[in-house]
Amino acid sequence: MFGFGKKKEKAEQKTATIELSPEQKAELNQVIALKQQELAQAEESLQAVLYEELGLAYEELGETDQAVSALEKSLQLKKSAGRGYKTLLKLYNQKRAAAAKANDGQTLQYYLEKIDQMMQISKDVTRGIK
Amino acid sequence: MGVINFIIQNILTQASITIALIAMLGLVLQKKSVGQVISGTLKTLLGFQVLSAGSSIIVGSLTYFGKIFKEGFHMQGIIPSIEAINGQAMNELGLGRDIALTFLAIFIFNILIARFTKWKYIFLTGQAILWMATMTTVFGYFSGLRGIALILVGGFVGGVFAVAMPAIAQPFVRKITGSNDIALGHFCTIGYIFEAGVGYLFGEKGEKKKSIEDIKLPTQLEFLQDTYLSVMVVMVPLYIITAAFAGAKFGATLSGGTNYLMYAFLQAIQFVVGVYVLLSGVRMLLGEIVPAFRGIAMRLVPDSIPALDCPVLFPYSPNAVILGFITTTIGSVLAMFILPQFGLAMILPGMLTNFFAGGTAGIFGNLTGGRRGAIIGGILHGFFITLLPALLVTIFNSMGFVNATATDVDTVTAALIYAWLLSPILKAF
Repeated sequence: MFGFGKKKEKAEQKTATIELSPEQKAELNQVIALKQQELAQAEESLQAVLYEELGLAYEELGETDQAVSALEKSLQLKKSAGRGYKTLLKLYNQKRAAAAKANDGQTLQYYLEKIDQMMQISKDVTRGIK
Repeated sequence: MGVINFIIQNILTQASITIALIAMLGLVLQKKSVGQVISGTLKTLLGFQVLSAGSSIIVGSLTYFGKIFKEGFHMQGIIPSIEAINGQAMNELGLGRDIALTFLAIFIFNILIARFTKWKYIFLTGQAILWMATMTTVFGYFSGLRGIALILVGGFVGGVFAVAMPAIAQPFVRKITGSNDIALGHFCTIGYIFEAGVGYLFGEKGEKKKSIEDIKLPTQLEFLQDTYLSVMVVMVPLYIITAAFAGAKFGATLSGGTNYLMYAFLQAIQFVVGVYVLLSGVRMLLGEIVPAFRGIAMRLVPDSIPALDCPVLFPYSPNAVILGFITTTIGSVLAMFILPQFGLAMILPGMLTNFFAGGTAGIFGNLTGGRRGAIIGGILHGFFITLLPALLVTIFNSMGFVNATATDVDTVTAALIYAWLLSPILKAF
């Protein structure tokens, strides 16, 4: 009724990573270069959006560390709960899972704290706290 | 021998010491430095004492409110506040040590279930586990359990809930977030499933189903920006109106030389101060324990799915959160007036529960039944989450709790399992 028992099917879909073609990669790199250029000249009020777009492009390209860094900057400049937020939470959770598998307690705590901060941002945005 | 007896009788019976020792264990297991272990242990000890101070303030204010409500409306007016229940159970009822040990036991059972079954959920919302430990301990005690049995049964029931609630919510969470990476760890889940069911039955279906996200709504709930201000906004009028109904003559017997309405105002503020202090204590208390044990849990169950607090879903359906809050509030106000007609106590609406539980439930209702599902589901959800705590009032009263009942419906359900199932069985033997 509500999709019980479809877990496996979905999980399989998730694990199938999408391989980017060289053209797609080149296009994303172009987007990244453009956003970086725009960021150099942009007013502070626009920077949060540009960092978010930059982070999303990095994520698509598979450059997760750079994606995390750009998306964190975006949220530092302006709290929001859009695509950038969701992507950052997903990346933190991936890094948390990797740290748990590697039995790396310190890194695990670091990302658990980051996830806590994301919960606070979500609460703040919903309640309109700037 | 004398020293051991002294330790057992005077130190380990102190709830604050037990909790501090649990934090110490967590810190030692994490191989923290001596300095970190000492400071973390002491902070936890301090947190418990701050929590106790907050509880005393709340009890003072609730005792006053109970009296004026009875005088004004000739019935019992109950404030739903899991914080007040926790504070009273920990201090006034002397169950602090058992709650602390049950809290630890819930963590351990959660890890065991996640490690050895296919349900890999690790419940990460520490505060919610504390509320669950409170309810299983209080109702275990009510059922006649004592000592190790009280803690182990509480730990098992709480541990099962810590895995089962994220598990039953997960089919919906998968649809909301589009992935299976994260789960929902909030002990209001039975209410969410209830709203999803109502939304499915009475909501829009197929192509007619229109999500509330397609409408432009004011996206921010600015009046809820500050937790304590939003509690105050409800409590101040509630106390003043009740005092007015109780009348100047009765009010003056409680207020001494102060004007009775002014006194009611100050008592409402006292309630908010109590919640503020108590929650600061809870944060301090859990600040060391939760990171320690969740770190251990995640390493013992490396393929676990983290069950996070309800704001994890807000970004996926922000309009449904607003709609859920409004409709749940309507439902809880309706229940406030309807339940006393059936001989139950009057449960006053709790704004924080309406916001967090109502908002999240709205996402579920919108998912299964679109706008209509979220509206009908939300109102019935508000009714549902007021009805369940109302069923506990008689037991709370008999145990000496002052004018409060629990909120989060999963913890209430656990309590009802004890009261309706376990207690009759135990008393039969």
